[in-house]
Amino acid sequence: MKLTRREFLRWTVLGAGASMGAPVLSGCAPAASGGMTRLPPPAPAAGSTYLAVARGGDDPEALVRRAVAALGGMERFVPKGANVVVKPNVCTAGRAYEYAATTNPCVVGAVVKLAREAGAARVRVFDNPFGGTAEDAFASSGIAAQVAAAGGEVEYPAAMKFVSVDLPAGETLKSTVVYGDVHDADVLINVPLPKHHSLAQLTIGMKNMLGVIRDRPIMHAALNQKLVDLNQFLVPTLTIVDAVRILTANGPTGGNLQDVRKLDTVIATHDTVAADAYATTLFGWEDPEKLLYVKYGAQRGIGRSDWKHLQIEEIAVG
Amino acid sequence: MADEPRKPFQWKDRYWRVARSAVQAVALALFLFLFLRTVRGGVPPQAGSLFLHLDPLAMLAGLLASKAYVRGMALALLTVLLTILLGRVWCGWICPLGTTLDLFHPRRWKNKQPSIPEAARGIKHFLLTAILTSALLGSLWLMLLDPLTIMIRTLTEAVYPALDRIVFAVEEALYSVSALRDSISGLDRILRPALLPADPAFTAGGVLIAAFFIGVVALNALAPRFWCRYLCPLGSLLGLTGKLAIFRREVNPATCTNCGACARVCPTGTIRPDKADASDPAECIMCLDCVTVCPRSGQTFPAHLRPAGWNSYDPGRRQALAAIGAAVGGVALLRTDQYLRRDLPHLLRPPGAKENDLLSKCIRCGECVRICPTGVLHPAVGEAGVEGFWTPVLIARAGFCQYSCNACGQVCPVEAIPPLPLEEKQQQVLGAAYVDRNRCIAWSDHQECLVCEEMCPLPEKAITVDYSEFSGGAPVVDRTNCIGCGTCEYKCPVNGEAAIRVYAPGRDSV
Repeated sequence: MKLTRREFLRWTVLGAGASMGAPVLSGCAPAASGGMTRLPPPAPAAGSTYLAVARGGDDPEALVRRAVAALGGMERFVPKGANVVVKPNVCTAGRAYEYAATTNPCVVGAVVKLAREAGAARVRVFDNPFGGTAEDAFASSGIAAQVAAAGGEVEYPAAMKFVSVDLPAGETLKSTVVYGDVHDADVLINVPLPKHHSLAQLTIGMKNMLGVIRDRPIMHAALNQKLVDLNQFLVPTLTIVDAVRILTANGPTGGNLQDVRKLDTVIATHDTVAADAYATTLFGWEDPEKLLYVKYGAQRGIGRSDWKHLQIEEIAVG
Repeated sequence: MADEPRKPFQWKDRYWRVARSAVQAVALALFLFLFLRTVRGGVPPQAGSLFLHLDPLAMLAGLLASKAYVRGMALALLTVLLTILLGRVWCGWICPLGTTLDLFHPRRWKNKQPSIPEAARGIKHFLLTAILTSALLGSLWLMLLDPLTIMIRTLTEAVYPALDRIVFAVEEALYSVSALRDSISGLDRILRPALLPADPAFTAGGVLIAAFFIGVVALNALAPRFWCRYLCPLGSLLGLTGKLAIFRREVNPATCTNCGACARVCPTGTIRPDKADASDPAECIMCLDCVTVCPRSGQTFPAHLRPAGWNSYDPGRRQALAAIGAAVGGVALLRTDQYLRRDLPHLLRPPGAKENDLLSKCIRCGECVRICPTGVLHPAVGEAGVEGFWTPVLIARAGFCQYSCNACGQVCPVEAIPPLPLEEKQQQVLGAAYVDRNRCIAWSDHQECLVCEEMCPLPEKAITVDYSEFSGGAPVVDRTNCIGCGTCEYKCPVNGEAAIRVYAPGRDSV
């Protein structure tokens, strides 16, 4: 096909016009997510397990499977045809998972598999690393390979997909910019790993949600209050804490194997606050409310910090 | 002289023109492929500088200035051999800038030659002499004028970032239509990061670099391939080598009628009607357009073993002395730049590069800037003095040096940035961070932050936390550990100048 200059200009103008007009058109377009909207995390029926802890063995996938099974199976969290986003902690490039700076790739892979088995239409794994490019980080952590093998996709951050949101119930954080595909997901599965963090003391599940925010450095003033606001706004459907390894110092980026402890533990619950409260015991903590975002989260009623009063199922694996 | 009647079109008449366009297209495509795909495309970074290794000017100037042979420099001999065999084939068939200039061949010069004095051809020889003399004196600043460094610099700092902005604006607009979301999202995954940067690319004075390039192209209005005829120092080097060309154009007096058709189309205007349509092999780029237009097979390409003759515009003693004098004076003057007297506090160089020999090793090609995945490397505008113009500097507010990356040293064709293994690169001290306690929100406002400490990538953090003044903790740099990667400065949430800044190491340490 030969394109004359006149035709080229005509198409250019049409294209540009369409681009400019697009935001106007979008105003009358139907809602973005394919009909389903994110359901609140399903609380367990009275008398059934609130929080499951699987320990032992050398197979992270078995730990995930057993812990989720104890909660009644992934089907309770993932409806058929759901659009699922998994949020591991992939904070930096250049660290193999043995350094416990990033979530164990086999745990992420197992979560993807379980969601697929439950009938999810699409399972994507998202994080926005601060230490290097996302491609490098997903590759060096080993997560990219496990996600692909499990039938999921890595959602590398695309600048156009961040959306401005208002947090009407937020007390400190009133508005921010979050990743649209996380915001719009039918099911959000939070897969953090517990790490040392100087400002917050520990980074676990609630803190892991910070990864969906575009401009993170400014979040650190009044971090604990803002984390509660954020977790109230973007509520994970399920939290699966990867404590196969934990990082006890020089976090959250790590880099020293002597700072890593291998615990072969996976914690699963619909309640991120409870997950974090229980995970503080992995560091030998007696009082989970020393972790301020857990304390404030419980006060605000978005979850429970009194893990000793919860129905916990402990599973020995392998 | 009357034109010969046009011959009916025959495929074989166009053969050379088609062949040359095809080779030019392939060479330009390979150049662009290496440009794009060695960033994150799985092509080894060393391959990214293939064209520079084939550039005899870059390699010779690099050799003269650094007085050290660098692996891969000998590849340029291939181009030299090609030139000794066939003349300036590089210019006519391979050079990406030459091809670009052909794309902008102005219509006004179709079948017409501008009237520019032949003496102007001497400018490029003057520049070559000045570049090589400066190189011998340890200064490579005139490598700004090498055609490949012009191409790479322009693509990296002007074309690529501008294209990214345009594509992103269109993507963003279309993405807001929900019906198009999935397709735009899929398109974005194909484009980024394979072809365009994942995050918006920022340039240091990209407009300046674009203006320089546009100037080179705009000179085409004065004459086709004005740059190649009169200015290109690589063209000069290959032209002088081309005097030796074994196969070169000659007019066949038995068939030539001096119709002048070849002289009118010659893109370098070296076919002289006043000299029976003879040409200078140092100016001929072997495009073979003369063969294409000739109605009578009036030219032959016989083998010669004697070099071609000297012309009035070829370098003579007088011009050489002037160029050498200008270079000596110029380099001497550059060395009086006051920035050399005191270390510039914010002049941060890529890992392993030493300020003192960077200026005599760096050929200003911009490969390191192109490959840097985190956008911290930029061509210096004012940061490195006049002699350091367009050499790479780290701008820590624009990006940071990724702890797990050593790509710049791998891609540098002249090892001005040494090709260090990752473990060794991680030990390189680019500078040291200092907290400005007057601006740090933890120290001065007692606000929670510690972003610099959190994001410090060293296994033993180079930033520790002091709880004595503020219970939330305030950062303190451990400068025995800090390598100056700039992550803290880049991530510092304080607006404008960061409250933690990396300062260049003192000269004693470089």
